[in-house]
Amino acid sequence: MYKLKLIIRYLVRRRITHFAVLTVALCVFIVVVVMTVMNGLVEEFKQKNHDFVGDCVVGTKSLVGFPYYEELMQALEATACVEAVSPVVKNYALLRPQYGGDRYVELLGIDPVRHSRVTNFAQTLYYRAADPAKAFVPVYEPNALGCVLGIDLALWRDARSEYTFDATPQRAAFSLTCFPLNARGAPAMAGTTVVSSQQFYYSDNSHSGIARVDDSTVYIPLDQAQSLCMAGERKRITAVHIRFRAGAELYGGCEQVRRLWSQFRQARADAPDGRLLDTVTVESWKEHRRAYIAPMEKEETLMSVMFSLVGITTVFIVFVVFYVIVSHKTKDIGVLKSVGASSASVMGLFSGFAFVVGLLGSVAGIAAGWLFLAYINRIEDWLYSRFGFQLWDRTIYAIGEIPHEVEFHVLAVIAFCAIVACLIGALVPAWGAARLRPVETLHGSRS
Amino acid sequence: MGERPVILKAERLHKSYRMGATRVSVLKGVDLAVEQGQFVAVIGASGSGKSTLLHLLGGLDRPNEGTVSFDGQDLNRMRSWELNRFRNEMVGFVFQFYHLLDELDVLENVFLPTMVSRGIVGWLATRKAARERALKLLEQLGLQDRARHKPYQLSGGERQRVAIGRALMNEPRLLLADEPTGNLDSTTGNGILKVLERLHQAGQTIVMVTHDERVARRAQRVITLADGKVKT
Ligand SMILES: Nc1ncnc2c1ncn2[C@@H]1O[C@H](COP(=O)(O)OP(=O)(O)O)[C@@H](O)[C@H]1O
Ligand SMILES: [Mg+2]
Repeated sequence: MYKLKLIIRYLVRRRITHFAVLTVALCVFIVVVVMTVMNGLVEEFKQKNHDFVGDCVVGTKSLVGFPYYEELMQALEATACVEAVSPVVKNYALLRPQYGGDRYVELLGIDPVRHSRVTNFAQTLYYRAADPAKAFVPVYEPNALGCVLGIDLALWRDARSEYTFDATPQRAAFSLTCFPLNARGAPAMAGTTVVSSQQFYYSDNSHSGIARVDDSTVYIPLDQAQSLCMAGERKRITAVHIRFRAGAELYGGCEQVRRLWSQFRQARADAPDGRLLDTVTVESWKEHRRAYIAPMEKEETLMSVMFSLVGITTVFIVFVVFYVIVSHKTKDIGVLKSVGASSASVMGLFSGFAFVVGLLGSVAGIAAGWLFLAYINRIEDWLYSRFGFQLWDRTIYAIGEIPHEVEFHVLAVIAFCAIVACLIGALVPAWGAARLRPVETLHGSRS
Repeated sequence: MGERPVILKAERLHKSYRMGATRVSVLKGVDLAVEQGQFVAVIGASGSGKSTLLHLLGGLDRPNEGTVSFDGQDLNRMRSWELNRFRNEMVGFVFQFYHLLDELDVLENVFLPTMVSRGIVGWLATRKAARERALKLLEQLGLQDRARHKPYQLSGGERQRVAIGRALMNEPRLLLADEPTGNLDSTTGNGILKVLERLHQAGQTIVMVTHDERVARRAQRVITLADGKVKT
């Protein structure tokens, strides 16, 4: 019983324990904020990539593409775990606005309705979000060929990551130019030259939230892409994107698709242009986008390592604080032992004290972190309006708000680590203290 | 002498301390017997090993050689938990520098020995009785108005009386006092000695060590410690 009483008194009366609690709280605060923001950014980025790609991709890096995709899609649609499939042609093109200038873009030829069943394409549109079938129909020129521009190709983003939309898309025409390739991978003659061009009108923009996609992608109808970029007897595409049914497991689904694909490919090994199937791979969305996701995850890992170091520092600070406290309290230890307290009991006193310090520090740190995160966007807004300072420059980073969703299990882990850190930090001095013979602590010291 | 039973007996006590490479022998075969109800003073020069002897008698430290027995029981043979219990129930210590806990008030310091031996539930059950006993002790020591004060608010003499209250809390059969007046002026020290005399009259067994002959004379029996041995 005396332990509880003394723990409370040590906590309330000793200034140094206030510092110990404050130290723990600060470390917990920093870790909570950084982990939440980093974790939020990475999760958000992954989600956007998932939304952009669908669950699984059967595709090739070759610009020549592969044939027999209609049969492949039929076979896929007959598979239990598959909900929807979408054929895609991916290529590079030269974009020339009417009034001159040019730039390279990534071309995505899609069927907007099918693609919207596999990805969130429809939701990324502004004017045709409710009716993706009309994504490539310009309102101002309903019979003309339309194209959807990645939003950063079409609109300016201001410093707060916001776009100014017109009520209807502005009238604008572009020509897209490609080198069509035949089935052997050689440039095909399109009329008298080796390039083919086509004029498109701006019909809508697409905001996927992935900066690399939004500032370089132009979406056009699938058949247009096929005739712009490919030549040959059999129609070809470069990828089939797949969405699995709700509840289907990602890796299990991909495995099923992989098996189906290898049978499909074997059956057509000797068919005309069958060798084009050799370059095709089956990837989950994570594998398909790993070149973009991996650096983010690396960054997160790096952060975790750095903040583990912060954690080690906490252990050390707590150790020092407890060392000081215990050396101030050796007389108490002697007194307690002289009235019959056991070594284990003294050890319990200081471990309990450390536990309470860790607990209070964690609670305070988490509360502060939670509060800070709840207001982090308002704080950033205020900093921006007052000093023009932005944590994440929105002209570079395609994020809206700073993530601030606090995850309960993350908090629990952080609090647990903080308390363990305190216990470790206190263990050594507490053990030393408990071992002290009362005689050594009482000898001649004054009160 | 001799009509009362011996409750504390020390035989051939040896104690040495390591000081770097050398060993310093402090006690070199001390023999001592204390009868129940006796008030014994051990006198010796500073550094002669009085505190060391007292710590051995109270089970705060173990001798290198020799035995201490209390009521016929050998302290050397006790397990550590038995020794803790012995210190808690059988012995009360009074130190030269009082050694009160700064974070506890006077009343809490007095009932500390009872609190130490009880868990939360046990303490809740005995708290009332313990508080009453502590208050009664404070009253006997003339400190009834000081129960809620902190040690730093008290004078030296008052602190020492609180320490005596703490030592008596569990009604120990043996009271050990290590220069209880050593840090006090003579008037205040006299007050403390009067308290001890009163306790002695009430039947308390007391062993007090001091370097001061005038203090030692207040006891019933005086033993001199010199060269690590009891002088006869
Ligand atoms: N824990 C210890 N370690 C080393 N030397 C000690 C220790 N305790 C006491 N001594 C030494 O033993 C001798 C006797 O000390 P002590 O018993 O305190 O004497 P007294 O109480 O008579 O003044 C002194 O020389 C002291 O320095
Ligand atoms: Mg001494």
